[in-house]
Amino acid sequence: MTAITSLPNLSATPLTGGVRPQASAEAQKPFKDFMLEALNEVNTMQQDADKAVQQLVTGGDVNAAEVLTTLQKADMSFKLMMQIRNKLVQAYQEVNNIRI
Amino acid sequence: MMMTAFDISASALVAQRVRMDTISSNLANMSSMQRDANGEMKPYDARYVIFQTDDRISTPYGATGVKVAAVQTENVEPLYRWQPNHPYAIKEGPKKGYVAYPKVNMNAEFVDALVATRAYEANVGAMEITKSMSQQTLRILG
Repeated sequence: MTAITSLPNLSATPLTGGVRPQASAEAQKPFKDFMLEALNEVNTMQQDADKAVQQLVTGGDVNAAEVLTTLQKADMSFKLMMQIRNKLVQAYQEVNNIRI
Repeated sequence: MMMTAFDISASALVAQRVRMDTISSNLANMSSMQRDANGEMKPYDARYVIFQTDDRISTPYGATGVKVAAVQTENVEPLYRWQPNHPYAIKEGPKKGYVAYPKVNMNAEFVDALVATRAYEANVGAMEITKSMSQQTLRILG
């Protein structure tokens, strides 16, 4: 039986999440800016998917795998946006139900 | 949300598609000639692709996509056939009267096509897994 040796270093990148930085710097930015940026991005992705599908259907020089991937990404981001909207509406209704 | 994972798998699909295109080209041109830079006819050179990691599609943890770095041509000795009345027969030298044909190894090309097919399937499977992971993530919000 060989002694237990440590695994060789797989990579040197530290395992911090990519989410933590800039939390303080962006504390000043209002929430509606986040929402508008996100909406714009989702809109752009939908438009890209539209253009890609049009190119594929009219027989253009575009790879089918890329078109379907673009469609899938647009769909995913749209579903996420819908879930966020549902949560926001729920929160708004809860606030509305506060009886004075 | 896992968008880079989709991009990585899509880049692999595109790369395997290019590889399959070169294999089809080699099989289609097994016996054909092509014009080289001087305008003379010489046998078709089999092409093969070189893949490389693509740093433009990468995550902070080191996962990268793939791109086609180059499409190289092979330099093998052509196949000579004795055809003295052929319009492209060699006119002088030790190979006078012979015609040079490309030497494409059909078995190697078919094995490459098999590898490309399995790699394509594997990447579509990886994309399906990523998709189902994303859909399950959405269940957090209900």
